[in-house]
Amino acid sequence: MIIIDAASPVPPFEQLRAQLARQIQDRTLAVGARLPTIRHLAADLGLAVNTVGRAYRELEEAGLIETRGRAGSFVSAAGEEGRERVRRAAADYAAVVAGVGIDAGEAIRIVQAALTSRGAAPTPS
Amino acid sequence: MTREPSPDAGPPTRAADLRLAGEWLARHDLAGARPTPLLASRLVVRRQARLAAHVILGVLIIASALASVAFLGPQPQHPLQLPALTVVVAGLLLAQSLLDWWVRRVDQRAGATLSRRAAHLIQPGWRAVLGRPYAVFTVATFAGAMALTGSALAVPDPTVRRPAVVLLIGMLGATAIFALQLRHLLRHPVVAEDEESLTADVIMRVEDARVLATPNVQWSLPMVLLFGTAPGWWSAASVAYLLLGLVAFIALNTRTPSSATVARQAMSNR
Repeated sequence: MIIIDAASPVPPFEQLRAQLARQIQDRTLAVGARLPTIRHLAADLGLAVNTVGRAYRELEEAGLIETRGRAGSFVSAAGEEGRERVRRAAADYAAVVAGVGIDAGEAIRIVQAALTSRGAAPTPS
Repeated sequence: MTREPSPDAGPPTRAADLRLAGEWLARHDLAGARPTPLLASRLVVRRQARLAAHVILGVLIIASALASVAFLGPQPQHPLQLPALTVVVAGLLLAQSLLDWWVRRVDQRAGATLSRRAAHLIQPGWRAVLGRPYAVFTVATFAGAMALTGSALAVPDPTVRRPAVVLLIGMLGATAIFALQLRHLLRHPVVAEDEESLTADVIMRVEDARVLATPNVQWSLPMVLLFGTAPGWWSAASVAYLLLGLVAFIALNTRTPSSATVARQAMSNR
């Protein structure tokens, strides 16, 4: 379920984007689930088509949903795969850290430095 | 919480409508929910639309009967009767479309007064709203009526074939009206502000779908137009069709879960 509050200081498109992103990430919306069309969701929520379109576009750019032409928009597996790759890389990194004998605190600082040096958060692949 | 109603939000909700909304909630195990002006106005417009839809089908039956009467005898006395019936059916389809548009418009106005709007992310489809047993029953009912129509058309006697042509036009019109209503039921926007009103919205759709699945024209039109004039085997087949349909319909109504239960199941799956 999605709830849009017109009285909220958060813009409607951001409320929609955040709720959709949360439901995709916590798997309330399964990978492959078909989302309502932009026009339909806009009518249901009493929003402008452009507002819903913008939320969908940002979710697509984040790799959380994919649009397959006229078939509609679907929850993408890309976000899930990206998270799995990160988990595997973290496990490999933990093994390297243990092998080299660096303590956990320093290992975390190394990761933080690496993430900071990249600037923005890495995009899902 | 609601905003100030927009200028075109219609008249304020009457106390009687709110009372009926309260009764409707209690009937659907939602006694804890507060009857809101939104729910009251939606229920009122649905009641009126349902009544108008029954009038439309009544007009279809009467128009078909009149066209059939004009066709009795060895020669058609009014050659314009069939085109006239076709025009009437087209007019009734238009009336149904306008009725659906009016319901959508009232819902839209009610929705415009809400400061919060809720919607499903996974739309309840025909399986959730109509349900497989009702869908099978509806298809079988229409198929049975069409089979009776086809078999009457195959009779070489013109006194049977002419009313059968009228029956065919009437049945095609009834099928088109049904398709329009079902499409509207499944596709018109949700108007809700929270989980409770979202559940109420699904209950309304399930209720409307079940009313829609209740045979009326499919059962009455073949009897009105052909019973008595058609051969004995056709009359026997039409009575059997009616009795079987009636038994199936009673079984369906007594064995399927209530619309509130179905709606809650649909909500828990999303």
